[in-house]
Amino acid sequence: MSELTVETRDVEGVTLLYPRGFINAHTVRQFEGEIQKALAQGHFKIVVSCSGLAYIASAGLGALMGAIEEIRGNGGDLRLANLNETVRNIFEILGFNHLYRIYPSEVEAITSFRSAGAAGC
Amino acid sequence: MLRPVARRAPRRSNVGEGAAPAPRSVKASLRLSIPSQTSFLGVVREITKKMAESAGFSAGTADRLALAVDEAVTNVIEHAYHGAADREVELRIEDRGDEFRVEVVDSGASVDPRAVPRVDLPRYVSERRTGGLGVHLMEKIMDSVTFRRSARRNVCCLVKRKDSPPAR
Repeated sequence: MSELTVETRDVEGVTLLYPRGFINAHTVRQFEGEIQKALAQGHFKIVVSCSGLAYIASAGLGALMGAIEEIRGNGGDLRLANLNETVRNIFEILGFNHLYRIYPSEVEAITSFRSAGAAGC
Repeated sequence: MLRPVARRAPRRSNVGEGAAPAPRSVKASLRLSIPSQTSFLGVVREITKKMAESAGFSAGTADRLALAVDEAVTNVIEHAYHGAADREVELRIEDRGDEFRVEVVDSGASVDPRAVPRVDLPRYVSERRTGGLGVHLMEKIMDSVTFRRSARRNVCCLVKRKDSPPAR
C-alpha cells in the first residue's frame, strides 16, 4: 500500500485535499505537489481534510508553513478539518493550532469561507 | 533546551556480530539496520509503534513515539549523511520495564546538537520558519533526548518513561 495518497475535489470554490496515510520526509513532496497544483490553478481557498491522515511529521508541517504566505497573500486561506487525536496533538504541541484554523468537520471548514472571520477551534 | 550529553563508556558496535547480551533490566529489545533512505521511514514507524505498544503504551502514545523516531532518523539521513542513500542507520529499541529507549546510530558527520536552532515558536510562526521543528517535536514527545559521539558514531538517545504524560 502506498504511504500517502492525496485526492482532491472542488466544492463551492473551495479546494479540498484528502491526504490518506502518512506525511513525512518520504511523502512530503507529493503533498506539497498537490498544494502547488491548486495554487497554480489560482485556487487559494483550501481545506485539508485529515480524516485519513494517520500522522504528520515536521516535514509536512513545513509544507503547510511554506504555502501559507502565498495563500493568504492572495486573499485565501488553508484550513484543516477532521484531525484525529494524534495529528491534533502534534499541531497543539507545536502551537500550529494558533496559526491555522481547525474545524471539527469538512462542511464547517468549507462554510467558514462564506463568512469572513469565522473562528475555528 | 537539550539535556546534557549522556556520559557513557564507548562500547563496540554489535551490528553483524550476533545477538548482544541484554542488560538484566531489559524486557524486550530489537536491533535493526536500515539503508539511509526515507522510503524506510515506514518500516521504522511500524516497528517502533509495535514495540511501544508491546511495552504497554497506548496506541496514541505509541504513534507519537514512532513520530519522534521518524524525526530522529530523518535528521540522520538529511544532516549526518547529507541525503546519501547508501549509508546505514542503526536502531536499538529497548523496553526497560520502567522506560522505553530508542537509540538511533549513524556513522556520518559529527553533528553538534548545540548547533540546532532552538525553537522560539511565536517567532517561528510569525517568520514562517521550519528548521529545527523536528528536534523540538522529539523533545516535546520524549522525556529525554540526548546526543553523544561514541566510537566515531553519532548516537541520538530517545527515552520515554512509562509513567510520564504523552507529551509535554
